[in-house]
Amino acid sequence: MKFYFPDSQDLVSPTYDFINDEYLPTRVRQRDDVYAHEVAKPSPYDGILVSKAIVDGSMKGSGKYAAPQRARLYRLGVRKFFRLPESMSSLGDCGAFNYVDEEHPPYTVDEVLDFYEECDFDAGVSIDHVIFGYMPGAGESDVDDAWVKRRHISLELAEKFYAAVQERDSAVEPVGAAQGWSPASYADSVARLQNIGYRRIALGGMVPLKTHEILACLEEISPLLLPDTQLHLLGITRVDSMERFADHGVTSFDSTSAFRQAFMDDRNNYHTADGAYTAVRVPQVDGNPALKRAILSGAVSQRDAIAAERNCLAALRDYDKDNVDLDEVMAALAVYETLVLGSTPTKKSYLAHYRRTLEARPWKSCPCALCKEHGIEIAIFRGTERNKRRGFHNLTVLEAKMRTLAT
Amino acid sequence: MADRYTLRLPALEVRQGRRRIYCFAVDGKKLHSFAAVSRIRRDDGEQLHGYQRPEVLSHIRGIRKYLESDGAMLPNAIVVAFNDRIEFVPSLMIPTDTVDYSVPGELVIEVDESLSEAEKPAWLVDGQQRSAAIRDADLAEFPVAVVGFKADSEEEQRSQFILVNSTKALPKGLIHELLPDTTGQLPDSYVRRRLPAQLMTRLNGSRRSPFYRIIASPTAPNGYIKDNSVLKMVEHSLFEGALYQYRNPVDGSGDVERMLTHLIGFWSVVREVFPEEWSKPPRNSRLTHGVGIQSLGFVMDTLTEDVPAEGVKTVELKEALESLKPHVAWTSGTWKFSDGEERRWNNLQNTPNDVRQLTSHLLKVLRKRSRRR
Ligand SMILES: [Zn+2]
Repeated sequence: MKFYFPDSQDLVSPTYDFINDEYLPTRVRQRDDVYAHEVAKPSPYDGILVSKAIVDGSMKGSGKYAAPQRARLYRLGVRKFFRLPESMSSLGDCGAFNYVDEEHPPYTVDEVLDFYEECDFDAGVSIDHVIFGYMPGAGESDVDDAWVKRRHISLELAEKFYAAVQERDSAVEPVGAAQGWSPASYADSVARLQNIGYRRIALGGMVPLKTHEILACLEEISPLLLPDTQLHLLGITRVDSMERFADHGVTSFDSTSAFRQAFMDDRNNYHTADGAYTAVRVPQVDGNPALKRAILSGAVSQRDAIAAERNCLAALRDYDKDNVDLDEVMAALAVYETLVLGSTPTKKSYLAHYRRTLEARPWKSCPCALCKEHGIEIAIFRGTERNKRRGFHNLTVLEAKMRTLAT
Repeated sequence: MADRYTLRLPALEVRQGRRRIYCFAVDGKKLHSFAAVSRIRRDDGEQLHGYQRPEVLSHIRGIRKYLESDGAMLPNAIVVAFNDRIEFVPSLMIPTDTVDYSVPGELVIEVDESLSEAEKPAWLVDGQQRSAAIRDADLAEFPVAVVGFKADSEEEQRSQFILVNSTKALPKGLIHELLPDTTGQLPDSYVRRRLPAQLMTRLNGSRRSPFYRIIASPTAPNGYIKDNSVLKMVEHSLFEGALYQYRNPVDGSGDVERMLTHLIGFWSVVREVFPEEWSKPPRNSRLTHGVGIQSLGFVMDTLTEDVPAEGVKTVELKEALESLKPHVAWTSGTWKFSDGEERRWNNLQNTPNDVRQLTSHLLKVLRKRSRRR
């Protein structure tokens, strides 16, 4: 099973100073920074997925790339730009979720193939249009006309895309995108894509589906698969069900969820082989909007806040070196949490979760290079450098789980 | 009690009209024991108290790092406003033939560390960030020069605060010229600019450089290319383009000599191909205008991304730039862009949009040519 990591310009700075919380003043974003595959050992994914909408921007606004970076990606190609090792592959797509509100996808087939070719992708997904809904038993006459239309748009564009790849004798491997709202409609899309000639098919629009619904679709699809057809699940992880997905012809998937949980999830920030821990929140005094407002209004003294923040960091680091005991750390965390939550007493306390994390010290036993290098810093919820490193760690945990499945 | 004591500081009382100011030195670590930092806030009655913004932590960190560096110095005096609880005692033995506007003596400050901020005998008017940096610095002591005055009211302190904090920033051109020849810790934004400024200064000062003395700067008053145009081009190439290859990401330094060779290699070909256009000021030539310098900078990055400095100036490069000739309108005529848009030669401005449009026009011409070959 191959795992692709969707690019969203997620990098960390190798020269970041954790003690003073600052960057080298001369740091150049992206170029001096490193990707997960450059810093997390073992390498946490088999390839990257890059969306045209992220690079070039879309209706919803500008992309994640500054103009000079975009120019350099086009100039150097995806392998050099991302500094991908030989063993990794690259997959391009359009980023259908970015134009999900449009009536029609905003790109032409030629534009998209230009993007794939100029950036030198190994493979590229045909233009698709996401259907937002699942009605397992419904036929074409039972569902919203827009759903029917979107499935046809996706198939039509897939046919044109395949033809363009053939006509240009393109080096990009074509991947057909299948859309649907039910097992039968997905299965029909897959069958048609195979007829066009696709032997690699990506199933789109399944992110909101429950695992049993995804399985129902796969069960309908897999009897139709030609022996050499491979399936890709767009945006899906569901590690627990991966084995069953694989039984139905799925050979690859992509997802950001393990990464994003490091700083988006309420609780499960630090993943381990058999569970997850809550990261210890020590927000920066000048980076926390609520605290900043409280200081500006005079409700909290800036000096007190800075002292409490420093005490937390010092206590956590000392605890990691066994110089102070857990209760001392918890006391420091409690003082700071009270200051931070002060103006919004409705917010709940995390202290019990922190205790669990600190007691277990999961970073001590983690084999990944990041935990080895940064120790307890990786379990601290604070700023992008720590949070993204924890996300990279989560990716290595996911990779290890996938590896045990494969054997 | 340990937290109540008297500070006696040698001081000079200076007369300014009806006012008296006091110049003295004190260990910056002790400053906060008698001087409060008043922050702007409103009380329950919406009455304004204090006059200062909160500490800017990143700024303080910068100063702190500087203070901890070797040979640090803070020559500017910190300014405080006293209430009437301080006392100046003139020296008993003052020579009679001295000037009458300054009197040596001793400033007596009663320190009570248990007092709240609002009750302290002095308030910081200027130097809040510096004094916080001294407080935080990993140093045993750091004596600073202080100027104090007795203020009649909080309103007066506030107006002093605005006066001392509204001085004009140094002109940018002067900073760019000074930057390469500075040492020691500087604010981050300057550290980032130092290498580009150094390259620009060298381009302007080397005889073999096509930019020799034509970049306008305080010491090259006849220059006609804007320093900012060149600086932006260099910065861009350094961060995103061809010059990055000579950069050391671990400390932000770079191989200046090879960068210079690279830049001189490319731009001397530009001058060879467009000699007329290169010799005219921006109002008569879009080549020496910001839009031309930057667009050609992007062309340099595209054509020489992986080329080592010594191999930049080649016949191939000259042929590539010559192929642009039928498609440019640096000094007259019209630009004909591939989307059908036509612009008079001098209609292009130094805006991100126009730079982008011109760059993609030039790159398209070059791409077509390389495909044809
Ligand atoms: Zn780890």
